[in-house]
Amino acid sequence: MISQLLDFLGSDLAHYWKIAAAVMPALLKGFVETLKLALVGIVWGSLFGGMLGILRGQYIRIATPLIGAYLHLLRGTPFLVQLYVIYFVLPNTGYSWLQWDSQTAAFVSLGIYTSSYVTEIVSGAIRAIPRGQWEGAFALGFTRLKTLRLIILPQSVGLILPALGGVYVTLIKATSIVSVVGIVELMRQADISIVRFPGDILYIYFLAGALYFAFCFPVLMLVGRLEERSKNGRMVRT
Amino acid sequence: MSAAIAAPGQCPGAISIEIKSVKKRYPATANSSGIVALDDVSLTVKSGEVVVIIGPSGSGKSTLLRTLNALEKIDSGTIVVNGDVVTDKTTNLPAFRTKVGMVFQHFNLFLHKTAMENVVLPQVAVKRRPRAEAEANARKFLAKVGMLERANNYPSQLSGGQQQRVAIARALAMNPRVMLFDEATSALDPETVGGVLDLMRELAGEGMTMVVVTHEMHFAREVADRVVFMDAGAIVEMGPPEQVFLNAQSERTRKFLSLVG
Repeated sequence: MISQLLDFLGSDLAHYWKIAAAVMPALLKGFVETLKLALVGIVWGSLFGGMLGILRGQYIRIATPLIGAYLHLLRGTPFLVQLYVIYFVLPNTGYSWLQWDSQTAAFVSLGIYTSSYVTEIVSGAIRAIPRGQWEGAFALGFTRLKTLRLIILPQSVGLILPALGGVYVTLIKATSIVSVVGIVELMRQADISIVRFPGDILYIYFLAGALYFAFCFPVLMLVGRLEERSKNGRMVRT
Repeated sequence: MSAAIAAPGQCPGAISIEIKSVKKRYPATANSSGIVALDDVSLTVKSGEVVVIIGPSGSGKSTLLRTLNALEKIDSGTIVVNGDVVTDKTTNLPAFRTKVGMVFQHFNLFLHKTAMENVVLPQVAVKRRPRAEAEANARKFLAKVGMLERANNYPSQLSGGQQQRVAIARALAMNPRVMLFDEATSALDPETVGGVLDLMRELAGEGMTMVVVTHEMHFAREVADRVVFMDAGAIVEMGPPEQVFLNAQSERTRKFLSLVG
């Protein structure tokens, strides 16, 4: 009885091991591509979103409503639609500089998508700093830029960092969508592997999910750590 | 506008602040028809003089004070402080503001910096003083306000009165020609008010030009060279403290003083 069970498990494990060994190289290649997409999205989204957020955090006559419209447009439409517009619609406008290959289109759309969230986080954090901090600095002769750099932003980072982590995790997961414009990232590699081993759909998706999780989990842990720190340690240090 | 050219000497009697027919109106919004914040206000403050502005809430006294370093914009009129035309668009406001110290009701200390760093940072970042010089200077002024032993504390670790004393040290360390006090003791616990008022008294004794908005009538009476009573955005009465407190000309002033006095 027991030996039968062990036999069954053994043959099963051997089977799973064989599949994993066969598909892992492809999945890892896809994982590297996913990593690349996520990193580019994080870097561009953070830079662009950070800049827009700093502008939106203050009231600037034309910029603030304009950025507001940009945000509503991006956050009110699905990422897939944005990706289609950038990859399929923009080239139809006829401008040569809007004709992007799938890789560039994926980078641009992920960057823009991320920037919309980063902008809200940064501008929200800046607005959370009491008005008196600005006035105290202005009264001492600080320029607007100096006030931002030395007084406002240093106090905002405690609010920005934990929230950014959440956005990055969303972005990592959103990279799976760009497979639809022909980027062979982790999700696409999983689909290809399933064609090779149609009997193990669930298992292959499980492996792909495990790789996504291995990427997101440390980020989430870091976010939790930062959140804890900003809750406990903010402004009271001895 | 001649004050713009005249050398702003520190000798007593020279004109330090000149406010000429300043008007400011908060525009109408959906739920208000607009308010006149400053209604043709004119006031001259001499170098070394202590002018205390009193009046009911919403009378425009804080607004007037905040126009002096252009934290508040005005619609018309001119303001000249130590020869700088504040209301001139070409005036370099940050550079001008280093010469005017301001103390706020809510202190506005930089919350991410220790008391020491609060005093050092503006000197280094704005006045470009070498760090060592700024630190020595900071120690001097923190000692003056009795906060040297708490120099390494963050604002959140200090009482309101202690924070306000650090804020005064921070303003003084920039070597201002004029000090503005915007209800500096209104947010303090009663037992810490005295220390801050003593400090302001000491500054006045040293000949600092001061414009003080306050609800502390005893302080006004005792320290002011001149008391200004404001109501509804206008100066109603102005004169030496004895005259305003004991022999006010207007009914409005007498009524206010009888209610607060």
